[in-house]
Amino acid sequence: MIEVKNISKKYGRKKVLNGVSFTANKGEITSLIGINGVGKTTILNAIMALTPVNSGEILINNEKINKASYEKITFIPDAITMLPQMTIAEAMQFMQDFYESWNQERATELLGFFKLKGSDKISSLSKGNTAKVNLLLGLALDVDFLLMDEPFSGIDIFSREQIAEVFTSHLIEDRGVIITTHEINDIEHLIDKVILLDEGTVIKEFNTEEVRENEGKSVIDVMREVYRT
Amino acid sequence: MTRFLKLVNFELGRFMKIYLALIGITIISQIAGVIIKSNSYISRANEAIYEDLVPKEEFFATEGLMSVLQVTRSLWFMGPIALCIAALIFYIFFIWYRDWFGKNTFIYRLLMLPTARIQIFLSKGVSILLMVFGFVAIQLMLLPIESVILKWIVPLDYRIDMTAGEIIQNSYLQTLIPSTFIEFVLYYGAGIMAVFIIFTAILFERSFRLKGVLLGAIFVGMTVLVFFSPILIMEIMQTYYLYPIEIFILEIILGLMLISVSIWTSHFLLKKKIAV
Repeated sequence: MIEVKNISKKYGRKKVLNGVSFTANKGEITSLIGINGVGKTTILNAIMALTPVNSGEILINNEKINKASYEKITFIPDAITMLPQMTIAEAMQFMQDFYESWNQERATELLGFFKLKGSDKISSLSKGNTAKVNLLLGLALDVDFLLMDEPFSGIDIFSREQIAEVFTSHLIEDRGVIITTHEINDIEHLIDKVILLDEGTVIKEFNTEEVRENEGKSVIDVMREVYRT
Repeated sequence: MTRFLKLVNFELGRFMKIYLALIGITIISQIAGVIIKSNSYISRANEAIYEDLVPKEEFFATEGLMSVLQVTRSLWFMGPIALCIAALIFYIFFIWYRDWFGKNTFIYRLLMLPTARIQIFLSKGVSILLMVFGFVAIQLMLLPIESVILKWIVPLDYRIDMTAGEIIQNSYLQTLIPSTFIEFVLYYGAGIMAVFIIFTAILFERSFRLKGVLLGAIFVGMTVLVFFSPILIMEIMQTYYLYPIEIFILEIILGLMLISVSIWTSHFLLKKKIAV
């Protein structure tokens, strides 16, 4: 379980996160939703210890993040994190060299699933294919948790559909996913839990199934309600 | 350890094209320098001795005998060395900043590796050190080759043959290739310390941005002050109560201490304060 406990973060005088708390469980897809600049990416960066928080605590399976945690949790940012001069195969080799949790079989499967060629240079890829490679490098790790930052951002509809397909496949299965996205339509039916953020605070947290069953509302309906009031 | 070596190998690979180009420039420029300088010497000698009928002894008295040493003082020789030094100094900064400001933010990947983050710091430091030793090794190999080329061009009675050791001792190369162990420790120890301290200053900047520039500058200033404190104190007090060997030992201790402080501070910054 990922536990985010009362974290706050300031950039200069600007408070980006103000006492954010939530949990994300294994086997669940948790979505962080909010307008640009609300602190979604900062939360993901903070979970991965890529940015320090001013206060609060983050625990992954009851432990603070440490070097071993990176074999259990991975982050797929909205931009590729491999060198542009690398080929996809070289990027995969890099991951294999450094991560014990790298699953080469799954990586090869994903290469085929996304119709990518290992010999292609990262710098020559389209935005859609870059997003797919990014996803491949994260999904091929046998980790408990996947953090995804805007995986659908700025890519064409066909690539979006292909990426959305991943969420219903065995590639996600028992893992815990925290996803930030604007393109809620693509995965609305797959999300288990929603955290609505505004001005660096959690304004509503709900279980999608419960809201659907008890109130007959979709995630978008709840978003409309919350953000319009 | 394996991951650390992989990181070092990876860092070296990232600079390899430029590094090999620099080595290529050094080899070509220095060998061209030997050929051009030797031919120019022979032309001057022929002109003076056979056309102007200057006695050989008089020519040698004014021009001196030709040796590799004359080449080492030329731009052909020192130019590429200066270029390599400048490139490495630039690379000390570039090795970090490219990971943040490159086309793809590779720092995400580096910081998310399942390895202690200090290994990133150490691997970058070791890479720089290996590159320096690589340049020095190439230079050491080049000297005998350059001597042979000079021998092919310049006749025996027009030249002085020198060993690589003699060439080094009589040129600026003695700074790069020290002849004693103490000098080696002093020059390279100070170099390693400087690289680590600059790395830490960069990490201050990357952790605290604008405020970090100031913190980094203060860190560098403090380390310089501490390192030179034995000499500074003696100068200020005007009492030179330490023998050179005592100063040397004190500097070694201070150097090791500052390297440890730099590594510890960098470890703290990378673990707790760094921001992508």
